[in-house]
Amino acid sequence: MQDTSQDLAVEITALHKWYGAFHVLQEISLSVQRGARIVICGPSGSGKSTLIRCLNGLETYQRGTVRLDGIRLGDDARQTTLARRRTGMVFQSFNLFPHLTVLANCTLALRRVAGMARHEAESLAYHHLDKVRIPDQARKYPAQLSGGQQQRVAIARALCLNPHLMLFDEPTSALDPEMIKEVLEVMTGLAQDGMTMICVTHEMGFAREVADEVVFMDQGRIVEQAAPSTFFATPSHPRARTFLNTLLH
Amino acid sequence: MGFDIDFALSTVPAILGAIGMTLLVALASCLGAATFGFCLEILRRPGGILGLVVRFLIDFIRATPVLVWLYCLYFILPFYGLRLSALTVGITGLSLYYSGYLAEVFKAGIDAIAKGQQEAARALGLGRLDSIIFVIAPQMLRNIAAPMGNYFVSILKATPYLAVLAVPEMLGQAFDIASETYRYAEPLTVAGLIFLALALAIAQAVKWLERRLSAPTSR
Amino acid sequence: MSMLDIWLGILQGFRVTASVTLYGLVFAIPFGLVFGVAQYLTTGLARVIVTAVIEFWRSSAVIILLFVFYYAMPVIGVTLPAMAVGAMVLGLNVGGYASQAVRAGLQALDRGQKEAGQALGLSRQAILLRIELPQALVAMSPTFINLVIQLVKATSLVSLITLTDMTFRAKEIAQIAYEPVPIYLSLLLAYFVACYPIALVGRWLERRVNPAREARHGL
Repeated sequence: MQDTSQDLAVEITALHKWYGAFHVLQEISLSVQRGARIVICGPSGSGKSTLIRCLNGLETYQRGTVRLDGIRLGDDARQTTLARRRTGMVFQSFNLFPHLTVLANCTLALRRVAGMARHEAESLAYHHLDKVRIPDQARKYPAQLSGGQQQRVAIARALCLNPHLMLFDEPTSALDPEMIKEVLEVMTGLAQDGMTMICVTHEMGFAREVADEVVFMDQGRIVEQAAPSTFFATPSHPRARTFLNTLLH
Repeated sequence: MGFDIDFALSTVPAILGAIGMTLLVALASCLGAATFGFCLEILRRPGGILGLVVRFLIDFIRATPVLVWLYCLYFILPFYGLRLSALTVGITGLSLYYSGYLAEVFKAGIDAIAKGQQEAARALGLGRLDSIIFVIAPQMLRNIAAPMGNYFVSILKATPYLAVLAVPEMLGQAFDIASETYRYAEPLTVAGLIFLALALAIAQAVKWLERRLSAPTSR
Repeated sequence: MSMLDIWLGILQGFRVTASVTLYGLVFAIPFGLVFGVAQYLTTGLARVIVTAVIEFWRSSAVIILLFVFYYAMPVIGVTLPAMAVGAMVLGLNVGGYASQAVRAGLQALDRGQKEAGQALGLSRQAILLRIELPQALVAMSPTFINLVIQLVKATSLVSLITLTDMTFRAKEIAQIAYEPVPIYLSLLLAYFVACYPIALVGRWLERRVNPAREARHGL
């Protein structure tokens, strides 16, 4: 048990969550190997965003366990904080801090959480802004950037803390079509660098190209879990088939 | 000397007896302020020289203390031979003062009505006054009910200013008791507590009304 | 009495008016910040207590509070100078309003701001100080400016507890010379001159703050 969990970036066992009487997550079990790229998809309301938010403690859960790098989440605040430092999260609505420049968005946690000196934090931030290809916007404020640029800044901000695991919660659904591509390119590059990634997304092209595994959720359960080639060619669950059809048409 | 609870309790009936005067002043001033305020907003709306003058008047009222307005009316009117009762002066003063605030409430309430409504009224050939009375005002009432309620609470809290003019509302009553007995702490504290309870109760009622009014999202 | 004499007389009270305002801010700013944040963060019994303290200062009629503290505190053995009582009561009253603005500003922020801070591993304190408060305070800055004006105007009340502010001076002059018209109109004008520039700053802030807010939410 201890040995296998050492290789796992994420290990979810028998997770349940309720919002009042509403059973959002039911008996979720999922293991993610280091370096794996998982895409979670499913109709809206299927619980996929709730699941990914359980992975860094933004949501609490009532039953089951979530381990990140073997650390159990939800037991106490310190463990949750430790686990958070190993994860980076990218939100659908970017959630950049509007009162801070792009650079300050990136350096805030480096300085406050990692206790880094200013110039050190800034050079690290520039390194990651470079990676997402917007180093020249560092002194601007988020409102001055396009949506695609803002989301790339959000990715750089998350990368600055050197996470072991990146969580993406529908990172492209708030973007215009022409901006989706630039964000997906950055994410693909990240996958090629070997980052462990869990992405909630409806970008099936991205799933096909990048994912090791596609997890399909419906009504709070994982109903299908397969390699993308299998999932797209021969989805076994009827609801997965319906879902894929609606995406294609 | 200490705070004499028994004496404090003995002042309650007399002070509470003035609650009617307090509410009368608050209601009359609120009605007056709404009337003046609506007129101010209607005069300001079309712009032009008159609009600018009214706008300045509203700014002026909002940049000056209500106490000074009360003094102005109370001391200046008799100078011109106009002798009004302290109560009338007080209500007029509060009405004038809060009209500057209610004008802004009406402005926001009218601005929130879709532009198309006024255009439709004009297209139907309604005159300015008719379109205000039959099209704008009914829709505005809904928009302004909640802020009006909040200003009613503000006006209520301003009614004890009239004690300065010797109007026998609750604070005035408390001062009467104080000057007869030479004990200030007890009656003033009682008046303060009654006022606090009254203001909280009415604020709660306004909140309730607000929820009731905003409940139906469509009509 | 010449206009100049009247003006110079009223101006003699400006120092007291300004002092009460500034000392009032010394009470209002910490109270508004601390209690606004506390009401935002606390739950259960703690929140009830915080709310009760805020409501006491905010929902009471400020004129009565002033008298109660001026007359009642010596009775229970606390004797403070009138300036201290005035600054404290007026400051905490305005501070009560400010706390509501602080709380509303914090509550109006997008939930994602706090979550993004949490996801970055920032402590609750760092999220509050670095992310939530800066945005809330900027968004609410026009409201705070209005509250400063409210405080300046409320200082006219300290004339009722023997402080020689502008209002007190005007009444003094009016007792020497029966010329209420120029005296009280000058007094109104004096407050206008003190408050209107602050109002203009508030309007400028409003214009600066609001477009930013639209850009933030409009995407």
